[in-house]
This record gives sequence, C-alpha cells and structure tokens, in this order.
Amino acid sequence: MIEVRELTKLYHHKVALDEVSMIIHPEQVFGLIGPNGAGKTTLIRLLNQIIAPTKGFIKVNGSFLNVQHVRSFGYLPEERGLFREMKVLDHLVFLGKLRGLSTFESKNASLHWLEKFDMTAWSNRKISTLSKGMAQKVQFIGSVLHNPAILILDEPLSGFDPLNVDLLLEQMRNFKNEGKTVIFSTHNMNSVDELCDEVALIHQGKLVTKDQVLTLRSTYKSGNFRVRFRGSKMAFAHSLWTWFELISCNELADGVYEARIKSRGEYAFNEVFERLSEAVKLEMMEEQLPSMQEVFVKLVTHEK
Amino acid sequence: MRNSWLLAWREFLERWNNRSFRWMLILGPCLIILAVYLLLLSGNQGANKMKVLIADPANLLDGKIASNPIENVQYFFYDDYVELNPFKTSPKFNEFDALIEVNEKVLINKKVFLFYKETPSLALKMKLKFDLERRVEEVMITQFSSMSEEDFRKIKQPLNIDFRNVNDPYGQSSNEIGWVGFTLGYLMMFFIAFFGTNITRSINREKSSRISEVLLASVRPHQLMMGKITGNWMASLLQLGIWIALVGFGLFALKTFIIPDFFTPEYLQGVQVSGSQLKELGLEANSPQNDQVLLFYQRINYLWLLPNFILFFLGTYWVFASFFTVMGAMSGDHSDGQQFAIPIWILLSLSIFAGYNAMAFPESDLTVFFTYFPWTSGMVAMIKLAVGVSPLEYLFLLFAWIIQVCVGTVLVILAGRIFKQGILSFDHKASFRLLAFWLRKS
Repeated sequence: MIEVRELTKLYHHKVALDEVSMIIHPEQVFGLIGPNGAGKTTLIRLLNQIIAPTKGFIKVNGSFLNVQHVRSFGYLPEERGLFREMKVLDHLVFLGKLRGLSTFESKNASLHWLEKFDMTAWSNRKISTLSKGMAQKVQFIGSVLHNPAILILDEPLSGFDPLNVDLLLEQMRNFKNEGKTVIFSTHNMNSVDELCDEVALIHQGKLVTKDQVLTLRSTYKSGNFRVRFRGSKMAFAHSLWTWFELISCNELADGVYEARIKSRGEYAFNEVFERLSEAVKLEMMEEQLPSMQEVFVKLVTHEK
Repeated sequence: MRNSWLLAWREFLERWNNRSFRWMLILGPCLIILAVYLLLLSGNQGANKMKVLIADPANLLDGKIASNPIENVQYFFYDDYVELNPFKTSPKFNEFDALIEVNEKVLINKKVFLFYKETPSLALKMKLKFDLERRVEEVMITQFSSMSEEDFRKIKQPLNIDFRNVNDPYGQSSNEIGWVGFTLGYLMMFFIAFFGTNITRSINREKSSRISEVLLASVRPHQLMMGKITGNWMASLLQLGIWIALVGFGLFALKTFIIPDFFTPEYLQGVQVSGSQLKELGLEANSPQNDQVLLFYQRINYLWLLPNFILFFLGTYWVFASFFTVMGAMSGDHSDGQQFAIPIWILLSLSIFAGYNAMAFPESDLTVFFTYFPWTSGMVAMIKLAVGVSPLEYLFLLFAWIIQVCVGTVLVILAGRIFKQGILSFDHKASFRLLAFWLRKS
C-alpha cells in the first residue's frame, strides 16, 4: 500500500503539486488522469524519488519511502531514454543488473521478455537501429525485468500502435492478476475504462477526485437508458410523458425498436422499467453510464 | 558501490566500443613516433655533401682549412673574386655546390657570405661554420697576438656558472630531471583534458537522451557521477599504459633500427665534428648526449617516480574529473559544454604554468600555493618528485594529494546534487543564478 500525504512540490514558486493526499491499495491497476501539466508526472517522479517533495511524505507499506523501495519499483518515465549505441540485450541486462539482478538472472529475464514481445531476433541489434515502437517495447521491458511488485508507468501507451497498446494492456492485466500493483498515468480514457480499478484525477496540482472507476461513472451518470422493445412506437413515446426525453428511436425489425431515452429527474432503474413495461413489451433495458472520457471532461470542465 | 562499478564498466565499454578510441590506441603512439622522427629529420634535411669553393683573393686563409677534414665537405680555394652569375652559370664552377666569399675585411667585421645551390642540412651548416670560424681564429691569433692557439682556446672556453641550491650542493636535482617531472605532469594534463571532456559530453548526452531518469530510479546521482569518472579513468589508464609502452618501444626501435646515426654525440651537438673538436671549442660541457644518457638510464629513479606518477595521476584526475562532472551537471544544452570548457582550460593552463613556476622558483610562495591548490598540485608534485624530496616534503605532497581527494569527493557529491536538480530541465540556459538556486534546493 502506498500512502501519499499532503504532497507538495514547487518549481521556482510554481505549484506543481498542491497538498495531494491519497492511498493506493495493492494488487490493483491505479490510473492517474488529468489534463496536460496537471501534476501527474510530478507525482510519479516523487514516487520514484527522482525529485524531492517540497512538503509532505510518501509511505510504502507503512514505512517512509526509501532507496530500497524505489529500487524495487518498476519505472517507465514519460520521456524515455535508451543507450542508443548499446545492443538491445546488453542494454536490458545492464538495466536488470542495476536493479539488483545477477547477470544470469538479468539475461534470462531479458530473453523471456524479448520473446514475449516477439523481439528475440532483435536482441543483438543496436538500439539505434530499432523503430520507435520497438524502442518503446525495450523501454517497457527494461522497467519490468526485475519482476517489481509495484510498477509505475508514465504515459506507457503514448506512441504505440493499437496492436501494441493491446499487448501492453494485456501485460498490465497480467501483472494485476499476479498480485502486483500497477500505477499508470494516461490520457487514453479507453484504457482507464478497460483496465483501472481506481483512478485519481489531478488538475492544476490538486487532487480533484479519487475513486473506483465504476463508482465515478455511476456518480456522474446522466440518466441515459437504452431500451429495446416490441410494440407501438407511439405507445412507447406516450409512456415517457414528461419524465423522459426521447433522444432516438430506430426500428430494428418489424415492430422491434431500440430507443435511447434520458430522464428529466432522478429515477431508479426499477421505476423506469415498471413505467415503460406498462406500455410496451421490454426486451432489453440498460442504464448507460458515462465513459471515463465523459467523466473526465465533466470533472475538468466543472473545475474550470 | 556495485552500481557505480556497473556504470563505470558500461562507460568503459562505451569508450572501448568506440572505433576511434581503439584506433587511437595504436595510431596515437605511431603519430608520436612519426612526429619525433620528423622532428629529428627536419634537422637533417638538405644537402649532406658539398664541394665548397672558397674565394679568398687576399689569401687570408693561406689555402688551409680544418685540421680534420671530414669526407662530406671538400674545400677548394680560388685566389680571386667570383661573381655570382658566373658561379651559377659557368661550366668552370659547375662542380661546386657552394661559394664562400672571404674578403680582406673578414678579420675586422667577421662577416662571411656562403652562397649555396642547394640548401645545406643543419648539420652541414654547423660543420661549415665550425671549419671556417676555426680557421679564421687561427689566422687572427697569428696576426693579432703572440698567444698560442692552445691559450686562445682556453680563453675562449665559456665560463659555466652552475646554479646550485645550498641544500643540494652536488646538483642532484638538476633542471633536466625537473623537465622529466614536467613532461610527466604534462602527460597527466593531456590525458585529463582528453578524457575529462568525455565525462562532460557523456553527462550531456544522457541528459538529452533522458536515460538519466531511468538510471536515477536505480542509482543515486553521485553514484552515477562516480561511475562516469571511474569508467573514463579506466579508459584513460588503458590508453596511457598502451601509449607509454608503444611509444617507449617505438622510440627504442627508432633509435636502434631507423636512425641510429641521429644519436651520435656529433649529431646531437648539431655539428658533425669529432669529440676532440668539440673539446677544442670548449663545448664538451654542453654535450647533451652524455647528459641525456645519464638522465634516462641512471638518474631517473623509475621505481620511485612511476608509482608516484600513478598515485598523483589518480588524485589529479579525480579532482579535475569532479570539476568536469559539475560542468556536465550544470549544462543546459550542448552549447553550454563549450562555454564551460573555458574554466576547465583555465585550470589546465594554470597547472602547466604552475609546473614552469615550480621549476624556475621551487621555493617561492606561489609554488607553495600551487603545491596545495588541488588543480595544480599534481603537476608541482611530479616536478618535485622527479627532482627529489625529503621524507618531510613527501609527507606534505601526500597531504596535498589528500586535499585533492577531499575536494574531488565534495565536488562529485555537489555534481550529483546539481545533476538531480537539473536533470528535468535540460534545454535550459545554465547560469550561476540557476546553479545557486539548485544548490540551495539540494
């Protein structure tokens, strides 16, 4: 468990992070979201002791963050660097050894991950000859070689093509299944929807919210329902009366419609179901939760 | 410590994998040998054999010159004036390579012209000068004094004043041996300048490629700096060792197989004359061959000097390298590297000056200051150690070495802090204000 308490960072009197406090529970994928310049990277760098906080502290499993903790983390920085003149395998073995592995362990782990990322054939090539995507894979491998219990990734998906994004997301899911904690910052809200258990939204250096993804989406739901029914379209429209607004209604087959409605007040799912089922035969009804993208926009706009 | 070593080894391998580094291991000594060869050869250029016509209308020289004629110069006398045009064009003078004009005023103004068709070598020039000067002196002795030639030679012999320290009455610590120390110190500075700039460049490169952030998650900044210094030190030591071995072997081979003649006493004197002739001219005291042989084969205590050279090379490299790391850590972009080279070159130049100063004024206050000033103490120590020091003086030098190590260590820690503060702001414009801010923050 990572505890962040009143963490503040000033750069030349500019507040990058302003008294941020949160707890990151273990064995979950934790997303850090926020607009550009919100302070996500600053928080990640503080977690890795790349920079020191102006105020506040970080605790890992109850003890103050120290060098040993940091060495045990896996870290992929936003601005990635590689020793371009080194060979892929040499580079990875070197990084593994810096993280405390023996040469043998480091080489084995490197080869294992290279195989996993379908890069074995490139192991003896110089990094300068790799494409950007391949170089990013090498960077990712470099951060997980030592099998870290906590993996901190700053914008890990940026620059990857959709296939590699999937590959990376799958790896992150695997880490979670293995009981590791993954903390990652991203602008890719689909990946947050898909992967994160919990997210923290940071805006202008302040923590705006931190909650379970599902809870956040429920909190910011806007009363949208998707309904499939059999019967009269007119009867359905009448049943909505003044409580609902009909957004769209399309005929899927003869007498079968799919409609999107939006409530004009606070109604529970059952209440809506009952009211509609009196007029038509409901085949399917679901409440549509906002995507994390919508929640993000809503929160950030509201903050502004 | 393990991580520092890993970083150092990586740094060393980076140097080693650089093709130009490997080439320079071999090419550098070859270039040095070639430069030495060309230097020696430059004195041996031009005509080495000559037939010389001496136009002596007044018959001042009486048709005689040089008691010990040497095969490569043949003198012929002509008892009339010779104009230059006929000398150049007439078949009569075709066989002659040079014309010496000895007019009647030569005993007063001591001025003689030698006109050559092909430039004579330096050695030959000296030989011609020697022969003519000696003959003119003989004529002058006969004409102007009742003195014997032997007495004249005694009078002509220059007075050698040997300046010796009261604590060193036998001149054990001569200037020549001081130059050996200076040369070692200079070599030290050369390698420090060469490899030190690599440290700054390497830090800059890692800052701009952003790999430093990955590294800093695993190692402390001062460990990173230490790794860079050690890696470059290993590379420099390897190069230095190979250069010393190859240059030593090359010079030996050059002397033995290629230019053995260059090392004869006559050649080194610059005059192809025999030892007895040198003695006649009163030049034996200046004969460098004997001094150099004595210097290199007897007077230099290699077993004492070389371990101390390595020790002080370590200390001096450390204190300079730490300064290089501070410069690298401060750099905001690649142009800063050039700007920051100025203070580094000032320190290196100061060190060279300190070496000269220590040789010229070994007991001056300035030399005392330079002995303890970390960036100059290595150079001064090499000169003092070559010349010879008492046990107490040696202890003082060791104290200066400790100062070097301490100052270097403080600077490396400082560099680490600056690096950590500055790592996230590459592409900034470095300034002393920013530096002060970083230091305050760290």
